[in-house]
Amino acid sequence: MCSLGLVKLTAPLERVLRVLLADPVAPHYGYDLMKAANLASGTLYPMLARLQEEGLVDSQWEDRSPDAGGRPPRKYYRLTAEGARVARLELAHASTASASTRRVAARPAHGTPGSAL
Amino acid sequence: MSGTEPVQRIAEVLIRASCRRLPEDERAERCKEWSAELPAILDDTSIRLPILRAVRALRYSAGISRTTRQLSRASGRSAQAGAAGWRDGAMSARAAGPGSRMTIGVIVWLVVIFAAVSLLRAHPDPNSWPFILLLALAAAFDAFCLIDIARASQVRYLPKWAWALICLAQCPGGGIVYLCIGRVGRAQSAPPSSAQRP
Repeated sequence: MCSLGLVKLTAPLERVLRVLLADPVAPHYGYDLMKAANLASGTLYPMLARLQEEGLVDSQWEDRSPDAGGRPPRKYYRLTAEGARVARLELAHASTASASTRRVAARPAHGTPGSAL
Repeated sequence: MSGTEPVQRIAEVLIRASCRRLPEDERAERCKEWSAELPAILDDTSIRLPILRAVRALRYSAGISRTTRQLSRASGRSAQAGAAGWRDGAMSARAAGPGSRMTIGVIVWLVVIFAAVSLLRAHPDPNSWPFILLLALAAAFDAFCLIDIARASQVRYLPKWAWALICLAQCPGGGIVYLCIGRVGRAQSAPPSSAQRP
């Protein structure tokens, strides 16, 4: 019910969700998110595509004629209502979970989880 | 402003090439979305040096290549879940090695050429320091590649003399191609060379 479905909450995803949640109604374009979440395009866009597939994020083309300022129209992303709800729950869950894993990870035998990407 | 145009065009070409991996119905829209981000990167005043903005834009388009590879793999998996889809994914993962190294090589080459051309355009006099500096760098790079080929126990895909000719024929490009795909890393080359000796 309150899960991201097929999407696992990785550190980069957590950063993106935090940026999107900071102002849930504000639209963000790709480069904006890359800078705010400090992610490479090769990490961000597959993530956005999966979030969109799950219905947690929707996108919208910028409403402006292409020759208005010489700049082509951008695609903007923002959380859906469901996405905002799920993101809040997941982030709250993650912050309590990380507090408890930090105690567990103090033992040196604990291996570092490899990056899934 | 005019200096960023060639970079933007190169990045657009790279993005368009990456988008060819996507299914036809989403290709045009994705391509449009990602190309529209390039002006934002190239005009990003928080990055002060124009050359760093150019590098950022090229890295962005390299990331798009990774993105489309992942998206096409994901859509392939959902379209044909089964042995065929799995094998397809495994094969594309294996083929990504030399291909992605080649992409990095092309990007490095473009950055080098871009830096050299802008430097020479600013100082067109053949006796000026940038000209001599570039010649010295080119000679040093060629010498490095030739020595590396001579000392390597084995090289990939082509015989050693062919790689040496390629390095000499196109000064930064040939050497970069050799380093990206022809060179065998030390860790990989050690076991076969010791096995050959006895």
